[in-house]
Amino acid sequence: MKLKFLPLFISCIFLFLSSCSNDGDDVVDNTVTPPSTYKFERDSKTTISYSGQTARLKMANELSSMMNSSTASQSGLDNMFNKGTGFTDTTLDATGKNVGGKTFASAIAASTVKPKFNAWIVDFISNVKPKMSSVASNGSAGFIQDAGSTKKRYFNDKGHELNQLFTKGLIGGMAADQIVNGYLSPAKLNGAKADNDAGTMYAEGKNYTAMEHYWDEGFGYLYGLEADETSPTLGATGDVLLNKYAAKIEASNSPGIAKIIYDAFIMGRAAIVAKNYTVRDEQAKIIQIHISKIIGYKAIDYLNSYVDKAKAGVAGVEWRADAFHALSEGYGFILSLQVTNDGTGKPYFTNSEVNAMLAKMSNFWTVSNADLTAMAAEIKTKMDLN
Amino acid sequence: MYKKFLIILFTSFILVQCSSSDDDANDINENNIAYDREKMLVYLADNIIIPAYSSFKSALTDLDNSTKTFVASPNQTNLDDLRSKWLVSYKSWQHVEMFDIGKAEEIYFKLKMNVYPADKTWLENNISSGSYDLDKAENYSSQGFPAIDYMLFGIEVDDVEILNKFKSNFKYTNYLTALINKMVTNTSTVVDDWTNYRESFVISSDNTASSSVNKLINDFIYYYEKGFRANKIGIPAGVFSGGSLPSNVEAFYKKNISKDLALEAMEAIIKFYNGTSYDGLSSGPSIKSYLTHLNSIKNGTSLSASLETKLQSAKTSINSLSNNFASQIGSDNNKMLNTYDAVQSVVVLLKVDMLQAFNINVDYTDADGD
Repeated sequence: MKLKFLPLFISCIFLFLSSCSNDGDDVVDNTVTPPSTYKFERDSKTTISYSGQTARLKMANELSSMMNSSTASQSGLDNMFNKGTGFTDTTLDATGKNVGGKTFASAIAASTVKPKFNAWIVDFISNVKPKMSSVASNGSAGFIQDAGSTKKRYFNDKGHELNQLFTKGLIGGMAADQIVNGYLSPAKLNGAKADNDAGTMYAEGKNYTAMEHYWDEGFGYLYGLEADETSPTLGATGDVLLNKYAAKIEASNSPGIAKIIYDAFIMGRAAIVAKNYTVRDEQAKIIQIHISKIIGYKAIDYLNSYVDKAKAGVAGVEWRADAFHALSEGYGFILSLQVTNDGTGKPYFTNSEVNAMLAKMSNFWTVSNADLTAMAAEIKTKMDLN
Repeated sequence: MYKKFLIILFTSFILVQCSSSDDDANDINENNIAYDREKMLVYLADNIIIPAYSSFKSALTDLDNSTKTFVASPNQTNLDDLRSKWLVSYKSWQHVEMFDIGKAEEIYFKLKMNVYPADKTWLENNISSGSYDLDKAENYSSQGFPAIDYMLFGIEVDDVEILNKFKSNFKYTNYLTALINKMVTNTSTVVDDWTNYRESFVISSDNTASSSVNKLINDFIYYYEKGFRANKIGIPAGVFSGGSLPSNVEAFYKKNISKDLALEAMEAIIKFYNGTSYDGLSSGPSIKSYLTHLNSIKNGTSLSASLETKLQSAKTSINSLSNNFASQIGSDNNKMLNTYDAVQSVVVLLKVDMLQAFNINVDYTDADGD
């Protein structure tokens, strides 16, 4: 025993010496001391910038209502989505940003998903909008009015409420994807490592490095409409994307999740300042997993909510107003599952797994409760949710 | 057993201690043998880069000769011959575009050879004015292969009319000659320089931002991502825009060769990755063997094998498309997008996992705005 392992033991020591021999020469103090809030400065001036994200979140808000509006037009929606123009808030037009270019646009997103959004615009304008005063039925677009309410909901010929597919699709497809697979990915951040190490600023007149900026841009897709980034209110910001649902999950399935994510953003940003990329990537991983969980929880929640409403549903179509609304939200969250990130760069569900689930939801009028319940269970297991 | 446990404990301790500071260990495999990067550079230069360049240069000489014959007598036979020489040299070009290093980088070679779509209006302007400077950036999209594509296939509706144009208007023959001359001169500048450049190229094997290894590997990834993935497939399929852009395919006017050109480029990429010589007869040290040496594992599979598999499936996917990408986009753009995804799936492995294994930084940033 002793003889057999002694050489290994010795070689271990050599390995130790050879691989660590330089440590003494270039030791840098990269201990990360995070501030208590998301506040980072150079010479007393903030180094945080994510105006592009704020603009896109505002654009998404307007798109979300316009995708349900009787005044919408094909070219109007297309310009808003793909060109970033035509908004009520005219300052948005001048930002040069658009939502379409960041929709399922990360390196891991399948390129066949973004065209679905364009197709929903066409479907809404050509099929739903002309039928806004007819009652919907299987195979016919139109409205359904909730029992005991004046609220009408508008559906396409398959019972899909398109602005819900669109908006919930953007929660994963833009907000989450850009954070977890875009700005916080090693591919993006490591590309800026040399400049960050050297302290080179992002551009002339900027007081932050590219890596700091990338991290802030990721931050901006979640907190971009917060009035005060040092004290996020979640859900009270008018943001209809990820921020709103982070608040809901904090208040229901996973209390504490908001702080976990916020603290990881702070720690990761501080790690970039300290040039400690190990700590940075650990924090990115925490954010990736927890943001993914928000999407997973909501997908399950809406599937179950539909099934509950369907089981309680009586004769007539009124119950379908709320039920189809819920399932439309679920559809968008399920679509979003393919751009989640389990912390290793892989989504919890692949593009083809998601397509298989969506195929079972292609017509809400004939959807099977058992299928939906099974899907909810599968998501719960695979994503390790409560 | 107790001692064994201690040893394991101690080993883990070492690994934990060193895991974040082992910069020097990156080109050393588990047997502690450094990979001979200079030997790799010598092999790549002598068996892939230089032969690909000299083959391209000779294809251009043929193209030049056919142009002279055509200009002297613009008839159908000479037009056909010129077109076929253009196609041969265009395919040959697919083997050198990725080497944006040395003189090629210095003179913006690729920007003067293959920026598409050609700018028709600008080009016609150059033809009629007869006054232009092909070294200026404003003329990148009115020279090189795409400009010739337009002149030989797109200036008129059919061959009779195309020939009439060359017969009746010397400005067309003049511009065609000027384009070919420029391509020949630029190519000679780049190719001839390799005679001297080779020596400094092969010894620059250390890991710095400006070393040959780092630049060559960065060029390869950049080419794969931009010149290949985006230009040939992503942009025309509309991945980066609101809708598809079928007129942005490579060789738009010739119409039915965009797939051939993409496959040729894929072939060049795979050969470079595998270390297959330009003539296909031998193999040697390359990215693949370097990765194999480092024994990088990604999701339980060797990274070098995953890359090879994904490159092959991307090639299969390209092969399933129509010969003319513009018509593929028109009939079923989803197929084009699926191919894009197959091509894209290689990018993550190259840009993240491979660069991590080599401990090389990316030397370009995504120009995707914020």
